[in-house]
Amino acid sequence: MKKLLNKFEPPLNKNLDRIESFIHTHGAVNFLFGAIFGAFDGLLRSSKHTAQTQPFIRSNMDTKKFMGAVLIALAIGWVFPAMYFYGLQCVISKLIVSLVVGVFAVDVIWAIIAREDHISEGGFVSCLLVPAILPPQAPLWLIGLGAAMAIIFRNILGGVGHNLVNPALFSRLFLTICFPALLATGYQMPFAGIPDLHTLRYGLDTITHATPLSEFKADGTITSYFSLLIGTANGSLGETCRLALILSGIWLVKMKVANWRLPVSYFGSVFLFSGMFCLLSKENVAPPLFQLLSGGLVLGAFFMITDPITATYNQKAKWIYGIGCGFITVLLRNYTTLSEGAMYAILLMNLLAIPIQSLMVKIRYRT
Amino acid sequence: MVFKGGVNLFDAYKIRFCNIVEEISSDTPPEVFNFTLPSEQSVKHIIVTLCPTEPWALPNWVTLGHKTTVFLDKIKELQSTLFPEAKCSVVIINNETEHISAAKEYAGMNEWLEVFVIDAKYPYDDPVVLSKAILNKDINFGQDTLSQGILVFDAQTALAIHKSRILNKSVNSRFIALSGTGLKENEFIKVQLGTTLEKILKNRVKETAPYRVFINGPLRGMEIKDFAQKIDWTVNDIVVLAAQDKKVMFPMINTDRLHFTTNLLGELRACVYCNFCDDICPVNLEPALYYHCYNKGEKQKVRSYDLEKCIECGLCSFACPSKIELLRIIKECKLPDEQKS
Repeated sequence: MKKLLNKFEPPLNKNLDRIESFIHTHGAVNFLFGAIFGAFDGLLRSSKHTAQTQPFIRSNMDTKKFMGAVLIALAIGWVFPAMYFYGLQCVISKLIVSLVVGVFAVDVIWAIIAREDHISEGGFVSCLLVPAILPPQAPLWLIGLGAAMAIIFRNILGGVGHNLVNPALFSRLFLTICFPALLATGYQMPFAGIPDLHTLRYGLDTITHATPLSEFKADGTITSYFSLLIGTANGSLGETCRLALILSGIWLVKMKVANWRLPVSYFGSVFLFSGMFCLLSKENVAPPLFQLLSGGLVLGAFFMITDPITATYNQKAKWIYGIGCGFITVLLRNYTTLSEGAMYAILLMNLLAIPIQSLMVKIRYRT
Repeated sequence: MVFKGGVNLFDAYKIRFCNIVEEISSDTPPEVFNFTLPSEQSVKHIIVTLCPTEPWALPNWVTLGHKTTVFLDKIKELQSTLFPEAKCSVVIINNETEHISAAKEYAGMNEWLEVFVIDAKYPYDDPVVLSKAILNKDINFGQDTLSQGILVFDAQTALAIHKSRILNKSVNSRFIALSGTGLKENEFIKVQLGTTLEKILKNRVKETAPYRVFINGPLRGMEIKDFAQKIDWTVNDIVVLAAQDKKVMFPMINTDRLHFTTNLLGELRACVYCNFCDDICPVNLEPALYYHCYNKGEKQKVRSYDLEKCIECGLCSFACPSKIELLRIIKECKLPDEQKS
């Protein structure tokens, strides 16, 4: 493989150099295609910049690898399991729409209009998360709209590094407000068993069912923990196979891309608070383990609240942030008409992260 | 690579040296080493560091051979003659088991000596970090340890002081480690003080690609552009790195071409608050806060976030995945307002 690539290397490198110098010498071409070429070139070649100030050597971890690790974890955590449970056609078409609309249309057009010199890698993560948090039977235009909203919203706030709240969750909030009916239905039953050609392609495309959380809200039914864990209970496209999500999440934590304090505090606080409330009023509140394994909590704990930009920077404040997320999730799930509260809890804590951060900094440095 | 309060550079940069020490003499008469020692009363504690935490630094065996006891006898002589009131500590890096066992055995018989073992993590050999870890002295980072009565020196300096003050012989040469991707071979040399860098690097550098030369390591050291510069006693090692200022195809599989070069290994991006900088910081600071305050133009505020504690080890910039020049920002903010240009 390496030998084969090295064979192509000199002519490819030479041509890319030529294209690069052509783009940089022609203002109009640079204006239109500079950022796109930069993004494409960035995937194939390393940077040519060298360290000009101390230290003169740098670690090989960069933003591309950082985002790449999240993408790998997302692929293992939800894309592959969803392909099995809901069929290839459902997942692949949604991913294509989301990535094409989000990254290759909105982000590229934004880079041209706003005259930005690069296209950020973070867009891929947001666009991979958008289909994961929508129902499996959500129409493709809804996915496209969601991806577009996520990227536009993030870019309006200044791009990666400046977004106040998680763009994927913000787009889901936007879609929930605009199309409540579409988001309340379409929770297709996942396929289980040995797949044949039809199920591999389409899944069990006709059967929809209430999600475990709304079922509990309606008549107190508790879905089996085992089916919740392996993904045979229904839910949003990417949240059902909790086992894969937990494994890929643990890998992310091990790679230090996700901070371990956030999932630990989130899971811990949901378990603790739901246990407490469960003891106080047994009939209204779901048992702790059911709360942990249902809804988008596992996906949220490993992929949403661990988004470093929207979480607090201070390590101690991360505990408060995670516990706050858990507390609000339990409150919303059990004492409001909403069946799932993880999204609202994370969005609210994204905003509260700013005062928590400044408070912790003030306490630490006594300023 | 796990970043937590310093980093083990030996794992990240495996540098193999040639075992033969070559001697290089100066074209001009060699300079003589003259160490100005502080007064006897001002020194309360001597720390001898046998703990190079950088893989390109001079290892102990080059200066000591394998004769730990002989070295410690010399330290004893030095201490009893020059600073009889001072206590003495020897700090050894934990991968040198031979020196550790010999020194501990020696310390068991000699009360004036204490032996400490530290992790092979950069920058645990920094004088301020050592004084804090060993003597529990709350020295402000960046402050001279001598003002607190602590004299810190390495093995080679200790031997040179012994030779010049006790044996009354002149010292005019020192060992230097030569390494890096810009060199044909990594080696140790014994250089007469006053030799030019040009003479040392001649025939040793790979002339095929552009290279850059650093004195005392690429993390904390200085870049040298003028090769007529002469070697003095402060030079511990010379690192010559391939500049690698051209784009490399398929960087994921061609990591060997980029490793240990001056390439940024990434592109400049906005801070994503990934916590790499505060995880790696050996003195528990939060460098990303400095970056954000600096960007807003609030340099005064930067100083209120324990900026004086920074030992300028450069690990925050080293680890940053967004390739932000955090050390430059820290240094700029440390300068008093009127000195800024």
